[in-house]
Formats: sequence, C-alpha cells, structure tokens
Amino acid sequence: MLKSLDPRVTRLNLPEGEAPAIEPKPELDQFETYEAFHQKKESAAYTYVGPVHAPNEDVAFLFAKEQYSRRYACVGLWIVRTEHIQVTPYVGDQENVYDMLRMEEPGERSAEAEAYEIFHLKKRGKAHTHAGRVMATSYQEALQEARKQFGEKGLIVNVWVVKSKHVLQSAEEDKDMWTTIPDKKYREAIAYKVMDKITKYKEEHKTTASS
Amino acid sequence: MNELAIKDLLYKLADDQLILGHRNSEWTGFGPILEEDIAFSSMAQDKIGHSLAFYTLLQDLGEADPDTVAFTRNANQFHNSQLVELPNGEYDFSLIRHFLYDNAEIIRFEMLSQSSYEPIAKVATKLKGEVKYHVLHANTWIKNLGSSTEEAILRLQASLNEAIPYALGMFESSKYEQELIEAGVYAGEEAVKAEWLKRIQAVIEKTDLKLPDLNSIEPKLGGRYGEHTEHLQPLLDEMAEVFKIDPTAEW
Amino acid sequence: MYGGGNVFEATKFDDLQTEDPAKLAEFEARIARGEKIEPNDWMPELYRKQLIRMIEQHAHSEIIGALPEGTWITRAPGFRRKMAQMAKVQDEVGHAQLLYSAAETLGKTREQMLTDLINGKSKYSNVFNYPAYTWADSNIISWLIDAGAIVNQMANAKGSYGPYSRALERICAEEAFHLKYGHDAVVHMATGSPKQREMIQAALNRWWPPIMTFFGPSDKMSTHTETLMRWKVKMASNDECRQQFLDMYVPKIWELGLTVPDPNLKKNMETGQWEYTEPDWDEFKRVINGDGPCNAERLAVRRTAEERGAWVRRALLNPKAKYVKPLA
Repeated sequence: MLKSLDPRVTRLNLPEGEAPAIEPKPELDQFETYEAFHQKKESAAYTYVGPVHAPNEDVAFLFAKEQYSRRYACVGLWIVRTEHIQVTPYVGDQENVYDMLRMEEPGERSAEAEAYEIFHLKKRGKAHTHAGRVMATSYQEALQEARKQFGEKGLIVNVWVVKSKHVLQSAEEDKDMWTTIPDKKYREAIAYKVMDKITKYKEEHKTTASS
Repeated sequence: MNELAIKDLLYKLADDQLILGHRNSEWTGFGPILEEDIAFSSMAQDKIGHSLAFYTLLQDLGEADPDTVAFTRNANQFHNSQLVELPNGEYDFSLIRHFLYDNAEIIRFEMLSQSSYEPIAKVATKLKGEVKYHVLHANTWIKNLGSSTEEAILRLQASLNEAIPYALGMFESSKYEQELIEAGVYAGEEAVKAEWLKRIQAVIEKTDLKLPDLNSIEPKLGGRYGEHTEHLQPLLDEMAEVFKIDPTAEW
Repeated sequence: MYGGGNVFEATKFDDLQTEDPAKLAEFEARIARGEKIEPNDWMPELYRKQLIRMIEQHAHSEIIGALPEGTWITRAPGFRRKMAQMAKVQDEVGHAQLLYSAAETLGKTREQMLTDLINGKSKYSNVFNYPAYTWADSNIISWLIDAGAIVNQMANAKGSYGPYSRALERICAEEAFHLKYGHDAVVHMATGSPKQREMIQAALNRWWPPIMTFFGPSDKMSTHTETLMRWKVKMASNDECRQQFLDMYVPKIWELGLTVPDPNLKKNMETGQWEYTEPDWDEFKRVINGDGPCNAERLAVRRTAEERGAWVRRALLNPKAKYVKPLA
C-alpha cells in the first residue's frame, strides 16, 4: 500500500506503483451544463457568472451557490439549463447586434404570450447582464420585443433569450444563506497584515533588502 | 443560570462541529465531481467556523482560548457524539452522516436562536442560515441518490443502517438536561430527537430507503461524557501534529 | 496555480495556408482592435488547439495543485490556519472547474480532459510533482508558487479569448487571498521560534529549484511563437515572467533574513536583469515526463477519486440529458 506524506492519501489504501490506463470516460459522466447568474446586491441586474455541471437544476443550484457565490457578496441566484438559452450571433464591440439581425419567422409559437428573460453582452470578454423581461409567443418575437424595449440604443454585442419558466430562481427566504459571506474574513486578502511583524524583525536584525 | 450546564452544552455543540468539519475537510480534492468537492469544503469550513464561535463563547466564560481547547485536549476530554468521529468511509457514508447530523443541527440552531441565554441565541441566529443550506444540500442529495440506481440505494441503505445507532447517540442527555430546559436555554435532547425523526422520515419517505426500526436499536452513547471510539484520538493527534511542535508559537 | 513552460511546442497545425484568408484577416483585425474572441466566432485551428492545450493544462494544474497543499489540510495549526488552508485548497478545485469550463467552450469535453490527465496524455505544472514534506513547504507553495501563478495569470488575463479572460479575472481576484495568506504564514514562521525558522528555510531550500523552473525554459523565438503572440494567446515570454517574479519576491524573501539557495542570484544593476544559476532543465524534462518524486501518486489519487465517485455520477445520470457545451 502507498504510504504518502498526506495521511488522507495513505488512508485511500492505494496500490504502489504506476496505475494502468483508464477507459475513456463515458459521455455525460460529468453531467450536462447549467448556466448561473448572480445578483450582487438588491436591485442590481443579474449577471452571468459561469457554468456548472450537474444532474438536474436543484443540484445545479447547490453547486452554483458554492462555486460562484462563496467568495462574493450575493443576494440572488438564477440557474438555466444551457440547452434552454437561445443565442444570437456575436457582433463587434462597436456595433449593435439588433441592427444586424435578420428577423426570422418563428418555427414554433405558443398559443398564449409567455414571459422571456433577455440578457445583453455589452462588450466582448465581459459578462451578459439581465436587460429585462418581455412577453412573447416565440423566441423570435421575444427578440423583437427586446429590441423595442431595450435594444434601440447603445452597443450590444450579443443577446441571450430564455423562457422565464426555464429559470430556477432563488427565493426570498433563501437570502439568509448569503448573509454571513462578508464575515468570512479568513478568505479575504485584507485579513492578512504582516507589516508590523516584518518591520519589527528588520529592526531587530537590521536586514536590508539586498543582503 | 448554572454555568456548568451552559459550558457542557457549548462543548457538545463546539466539539461536534469541529470534528465533523475536520472529517468533511478530508474530502477536499477527492470528491465525486468537482462542483460537489467545492460544496462539501464550504460546509466543512462553516462547521469549523461554527465550532470556533462556540469555543469563543466558552472562552468568555473563562475556559482556555479556542486554539488551546481544540488542539491540546485528549479524546476523553471531548464531548462530541461518536457519529462525527467515525472515518469518512466512501461518499455514501459521508453523505448519510451529513444528512443525519445536519437535520439535527438545524433544529438545535432553531431552538437556540430563541434561547434565554443571550450569547448562544445571538450566535445561533447569525449562523442558522448556513446550517439551513447544509440541510438543503443533504436533503437534495439523499432525495436524488435515494431513488436512483439499485447500486446507490444499496450503498446508502447500508450506510444508513451503520450510522443510525451512532446518530441516536447525538441525543444522549446531559446531566444538566432538566436545568437547561427549565431555564429556557433550549427544549432538550428528547425534543430535538422527536423533531429530527419527523424531518428525516419526511425525506426518507420520498426515496427507496428505509429507516430501520429505531426501537430495536441500541444507541451508541458515551460521546457526550468523553467515551469515544478508537478513531477519535488518532484524528486529534493528526489535527494537532504541527500545533504541538510548539504550542506556544504563533503559526 | 500555473506556470508556463511546456505549453507552446509547435504542432502540425502551424501552417496557416489552409485557413480561409478573408476570415483569418477579419479574425486578426478583431484582435488587433483589442476585441476579445468569443466561442462562436470563427477562429484558426491553430488558435483553437493551442488554447485548448493551454487552458486544459492550466485546469489540470489547479486540480493536481490542490494535492501538495492538501497534504497539510488536516494538520494546519490553529483555527485561523485550518480554515484558511481549507479555503485555499478549495479555491484550487474551484479554479479547475472554471478553467475546464472555459476549455469546454472550445470543443473539448471535461470527460476527455480528465481521461487525458489520468492517462498521462496531457500535462500539468511540473512543480506539483514535488512533495510537501512539512507544513512549511505548504506555506512556501501558498506564497511563492501562487505568486508565480499570479504573474503568469495576470498576463494571460489580457489575452484574446473571452472565456479564458473571464475565468482568469475571477481566479486572480481569489488568488490575492492565497498570496497574502501564504506570505502571512511564511512571515510567522520566519519571525517565529528557531524551530519555525529552521523549518521555513529548509522548505525554501527544497522549493527554490522547482520555483525557478516554474515559468519554463527560455522561449525559442519562432514564427510560431510570433503568431501566438500576435493572436494574444501567449502574452509574455517565460523569461519575462521569471524576471518579474524575481523582482517582486526576492526582496521580500531577503527582508525576512532567509537565504535563497543560489549563490549566483543577484540583480545586475546595469542590465536591470536578475542573474541566476541556470536551472537543471534535464531534471525538469525528466520530471515532466513522469519521473518525478510524486507523479505516480498525484495521478493515482486523481484516478481513485474519479473511480470511487463513479457510482454517484452513474446514479444521477439523466438518460434524456444531452451534452451542450457551456456558452461562455
């Protein structure tokens, strides 16, 4: 058995020596992906933070909460299955994608108008932020509505369109999960102050930076 | 209020969380999926943080500082339940322990946030949200895995059967039980246990798992009075290995 | 945590002749304007391949990099260190998650990347093949390896690929804590008891040679390298990163009265460049190719974690799920 410097590894009871190769991991061994959006403070727009791999949206929520909000202020979290996000083409930083879109006839329409969430990317390399909600009977119509309501002005590189019913939103009563984040100083750079110790040491030992 | 009673309660709370947080931290980097690895570590950190909060209350009552208390006592001076000191085993056991433990912990925190003893009430109120999330995490996993493949169900069931006697040991009554209840510090272990049973049953009913008949099970007692399994002392030795190189040093 | 070094070997895609000239011109113009490339944009095959390789290696370095410091996670002395050590190692796993996701947007799945890691087909930063003998080794890693990684990552964050930049911005923000935490721990050791001081000097002696190889050997300038620099894939040369690191950290080591175990290390005041004993690049190559003190253990641990967690993943696999690569 492998005796490691790490007692945790020793307890794994691994055989000594090189391990044989593994079979390639099967597809979806790591699950499908969900995209996460967080709200930094009350009334701020929800902003894209990144994906998680998860077996379903409830677990995706648990995962995203830790991966994307353990180190930063957060008051809300939205989760969307990647598959459920419709993406327009990307244009340049000095353009507005709504001006370039060829509006296509929708393939599918719902009988009743339903809510869609619209996310804008204002600059390449930045993150998509929530522009607002529109009512429509198709993704295409939602995009046209979005253009009318918040797409006329400014530079918009790319748009994501999601049906509101596909967004898992944290609830009001979930907020206390984040209230203690700012207290966890041990994982903030600002908690570590050693200048006093260094100064004292230098005074006692008269070291210089070039000794 | 009898200070000895309060101290006894605080030691139980703090020691449980220190030891479980330590155990859970052993998973960091070894988890079944990256995202879960991260989540499990956060909960381990929370637990250690909670223990620190309670050791700090003990210090306010005249006990030694939290580092000394946590890193220099021997196993027979620890008041944690034996459940939390057991080795991690495979992920099924760690998840089941997390589920059984945190569903009790949240009840304690809910009760303690209403406590007549204000310092505890304050801490419990502040940290309750974190425990609530730990419960959400545990229940989500048990619901998902507990009704999935036969392999997963068998594993969880075996771990549940193994852990249950130790879980019942969490509710071992203290010699100050009656005093604590009468003073309104909290409703006591029997009350925690009754509520706990309701909550874990509600989750288990949604799965293919079966809760063993608790009447036929002998609870593993003794932890609250310093009697432990052979696993605790090695855990403490490992935890304090560096600290004990020089206990007076600043690390 | 990541250094350069073994990333930019030439590939058979060097020849850009096969790329559509109009699209290539548009792509290069976008980068020249300072715009980022996003996943759905057209990109030359060389760009895609090199970025996948680079981001994947970076991700592997994070997940494997969690192990040397993980060695001390259960033994960190005192509450402050215990909690911080846990958070620090956790962050490395978190960074792996972010980076695997960024690489996925280029078309390689996490499954493929993990398979390649475990089977030794893709590399990770060589320093993590060295052991953390004592708590002090862990402190030196937290401070100086993370410091090196930040030099590298700050440069790469200005690169042209949107998802990688976004991930690196978050990573750099989080690593500010690592650096300060590591420095704090080293300062406590260096200004502490004689035993602590002895421990930290010994750890520095062990880690200095791997640290000097962290950024990789001097780059061989070729048209290939020039192309990658023009495309803002490679942002700084290995030697530039090493010089910047020495500039920032050697004085901080010296002010603690610690000795850097290289008698030739000094700053040449005329050239402004640091001079040092050339690292042992033969050893570097040997270790990268598998013959280091911890290579086998690191991969065995990763492999075991994957294997022992397989039942969890199998149990929750949704038969109706289909893979869609992350959007950004």
